[in-house]
Amino acid sequence: MFEKESTQFLRRILFLGILQLMLLILLVGRMSYLQIFEGSYYHLLAEGNRIATRPLLPLRGQIYDRRGVPLAHNETSFRVVLLTDKKDEIEETLEILSGLITLLPEEKEETLKMVRKKRGLDSIIIKDNLTWNEVSAIELHAGDLPGISIEVGSVRKYPELIRGAHLLGYVASPSEKEQEKDPLLSIPGLQIGKVGLEKYFDSRLRGIPGHSAFEVNAKRKVVRELHQIASIAGEDIHLTIDGQLQSYTQDLLSLHESASAVVIDIHNGDILALVSSPSFNPNLFPQGISHKDWHELRDNPYVPLTNKAVSGLFPPGSTVKLFVVLAALQSGLIDKESTVYCPGYVYVGTHKFHCWRKEGHGTVNVSRALSESCDVFFYEIAKKAGVERLAALYHDVGLGEGGLESFPYSKKGLVPDRTWKKNIKNAKWTVSDTIQMSIGQGYMLTTPLELAVAISRLAGGGKRLIPRLEGQGPLSFPDMGYDGKHVEMIRDIMNNTCNTPEGTAFRWRIPIAGMEMGGKTGTSQVRRITMEQRKAGQTKTTHLPWKYREHGFFVGYAPVHAPRYAIAVIVEHAGGAGPAVQAARNILLKAQFLEREHTR
Amino acid sequence: MTTDIIPSLLQKFSRLNWGIFFLILLISAIGWGLLISAAGGDIHLWALKQIIRFSVGVLIMLFIALIDLRWWLHFSYLFYGLSLALLCGVEFLGFIGKGAERWIDLYVIQLQPSELMKIALVMALARYFHSQSFPLPFHKLFVPFLLIFIPMILVLRQPDLGTAMILLMVGGTLFFLAGVSLWVFGATLVGIGASIPLLWSFLHEYQRDRIFMFFDPSKDSLGKGYHIIQSKIALGSGGLWGKGYMQGTQASLNFLPEKQTDFIFTLLCEEWGFMGGIFLLFLYVFLMVMCFRIILTTQNDFGRFVAAGMTISFFFYIFINVAMVMGLVPVVGIPLPLVSYGGTAMLTLLMGFGFLLNVGLHRNLKIPCLSMGFF
Repeated sequence: MFEKESTQFLRRILFLGILQLMLLILLVGRMSYLQIFEGSYYHLLAEGNRIATRPLLPLRGQIYDRRGVPLAHNETSFRVVLLTDKKDEIEETLEILSGLITLLPEEKEETLKMVRKKRGLDSIIIKDNLTWNEVSAIELHAGDLPGISIEVGSVRKYPELIRGAHLLGYVASPSEKEQEKDPLLSIPGLQIGKVGLEKYFDSRLRGIPGHSAFEVNAKRKVVRELHQIASIAGEDIHLTIDGQLQSYTQDLLSLHESASAVVIDIHNGDILALVSSPSFNPNLFPQGISHKDWHELRDNPYVPLTNKAVSGLFPPGSTVKLFVVLAALQSGLIDKESTVYCPGYVYVGTHKFHCWRKEGHGTVNVSRALSESCDVFFYEIAKKAGVERLAALYHDVGLGEGGLESFPYSKKGLVPDRTWKKNIKNAKWTVSDTIQMSIGQGYMLTTPLELAVAISRLAGGGKRLIPRLEGQGPLSFPDMGYDGKHVEMIRDIMNNTCNTPEGTAFRWRIPIAGMEMGGKTGTSQVRRITMEQRKAGQTKTTHLPWKYREHGFFVGYAPVHAPRYAIAVIVEHAGGAGPAVQAARNILLKAQFLEREHTR
Repeated sequence: MTTDIIPSLLQKFSRLNWGIFFLILLISAIGWGLLISAAGGDIHLWALKQIIRFSVGVLIMLFIALIDLRWWLHFSYLFYGLSLALLCGVEFLGFIGKGAERWIDLYVIQLQPSELMKIALVMALARYFHSQSFPLPFHKLFVPFLLIFIPMILVLRQPDLGTAMILLMVGGTLFFLAGVSLWVFGATLVGIGASIPLLWSFLHEYQRDRIFMFFDPSKDSLGKGYHIIQSKIALGSGGLWGKGYMQGTQASLNFLPEKQTDFIFTLLCEEWGFMGGIFLLFLYVFLMVMCFRIILTTQNDFGRFVAAGMTISFFFYIFINVAMVMGLVPVVGIPLPLVSYGGTAMLTLLMGFGFLLNVGLHRNLKIPCLSMGFF
């Protein structure tokens, strides 16, 4: 049969052989592509399959006051967790568990929902903050509870409760937005500072998370632990705050609807107390605040969540007259003997500006003008000095400068000038603007912290003090270049304000020798007094509804002959300066008593 | 003269192609090593059973090899008929096994008639082509076409896409070798292309899924594409030299599915790397070269077709399996020959090699091409 067919068969079988060889070479090519060219990529994927990590939370640093008393610390808490790689008999387990601890049906439902959703390694917190009895009951029945374990965690606590809530702030779980910005924050259970010092020092307090790595199989069950990188605890922060003074001040201010105070150590700039009232309980936040509590705090008309000491903006009233006098003295417009006649009002153009005393002060010199707070005197010297000089000096002493850079939600006050008015109000600066500025009204706004810094600089003899929340030891600040005689003169006047019968603060002076205070009162209107009211003799605002009454201020220091403690107090809508002076008096006294107590 | 052409039994035994035998042994032994690794070091789970099956298979292989080729020529149609009957038995008499209706439990061994059919088809086609004179007229292609088509439909209905494909491809290759002109193949290809929509409706849901998944495995990485993705990860992560014996993380942690059966090549490549894979492929090529030598030196048509059919189907096993684990072709249940765990596949392959060895022994035999009826 053969020859012809045989050669065809041979041709075709050889063709097949070559075809097969080529196909095998194709396979080898694919193999080398996968194993050699993409080998490291697939190696990574295989490692990702094999290794699962569980983050280890770092312990947050604690916050102490100047004497080492904890203001924010971590409390150990016990929680029941379920490792989902043993989720087979979860329902029975929960049944047994609910016999041991109080477990609401909703909590059970929540857990079951989480179990269905999650895979593998993740652990689910069934219940947090167990009592000792619950912990021991669970430990005792551990054998009947597969997958259940007790985990030791920590909860942030603020032992001073509401005293210092604004200053310290609080921690809470990061929001989704924050987690997007920093993926590190998505570690379950990690909390970050939301406001106050917890936020201010957050990067130092937080620490560095560690992790433990496990080898897992395809069903995500743990085969063995590979390694562990321990977390690094956050740094402890030691504040300049005096916890005792802080809580005393908080308690004192809580007598008023809404108030704020800042106490600074003139020697080194230490902020000893920084208080805003009313306050709130920061312990509500770390474990998630309830809706009811949140709405109560948010809708409170006295805004307890706002730290008024650094972010409350108020027209500072007569307290700024100190700096008007300094500006006038420095520029040589007046001297100690200069006098102005006060008829109780002054005309600027057609507009009539009133002195707070309707009948006028008569002829006043600098000293009387300040200690009795004669407005007309300041209208006159402000006109002479002009807005530029005033604004420059206000800025120099710290008004409109903030004081604590990057403190959460802190604001800067407003010292208006020509360019500001042109840019913002689109209007020309007028003499009446200057006049209003000289009595801390009009556009002018300051924070209590700014006032405290300004008075500290003045009381400290014209040194450029920088307030601080951290750090120890004395500091010497550079001189601000004011004439020592002028500063001394203003301090004398502040002494008179408090310690001579004509002074506006005499009623609330410190009568103990060596502890006397000096200072300046102030009130600021929040609503213009109408002509009709003025005619009817209604220049006081105490009869008005609370929110229309004028703010009361006091800036001062003690002891008057060796200034150590500077203070700024505002009592909102107090209707006068009295409550602020009274509070400042008590706080300055307390500060001096505390000093004596601790140096003994 | 007759002694030269048909040696005695003892002579036959000594003249067996021992090279092929030892290559088969070597490849199988590699398989046993891999099965031990797949079982995490346990020899009893798979390797030992595989060794026992191999031993039985080798005895059957030698038995087949030593019988006179003409006997097999005579029995080939009967063998085909028997296999077809068993296939029908699975299909119609309802020996329903697990999941796919592929198994007949003969109490001693579980038998897959579709596996037997792979051999029987080669035998029957070889006999048919042997009895024809070339070139074949077109009408003579009808009978062999039915020989392929009927079992293929039965196997497809089981459903076993992989085996049906092998039947089709082996049958087609034998047609090609029988000298069927190329335009017939062209026309058939067009016909198949046209009937794809029809075939599609015959496919089971999971078979369609496998084809879908082949085109985009990443779409459903935890579902149906999972096998391919994990297989590629395991294979790729082996790198040049592999992770070491029993050190394959993908396999030992069960990310790799079916690591002892269809995906055992992946296990090899993960633990022994590119070099391990190349080594095994080289052994396969070497074995096939020896098979080709038999095909090329055989003097009778029946023997040539049988040898070619067995070699080709062996190649298809290798190619489809390796291409499948590397994501080049859809996942069809084709084992890696001689290496994957499993009884019937090994038995079929060893029977196939039995016939190959047989042809090798009888390569000088000339068998007249006249038809001898069914016996």
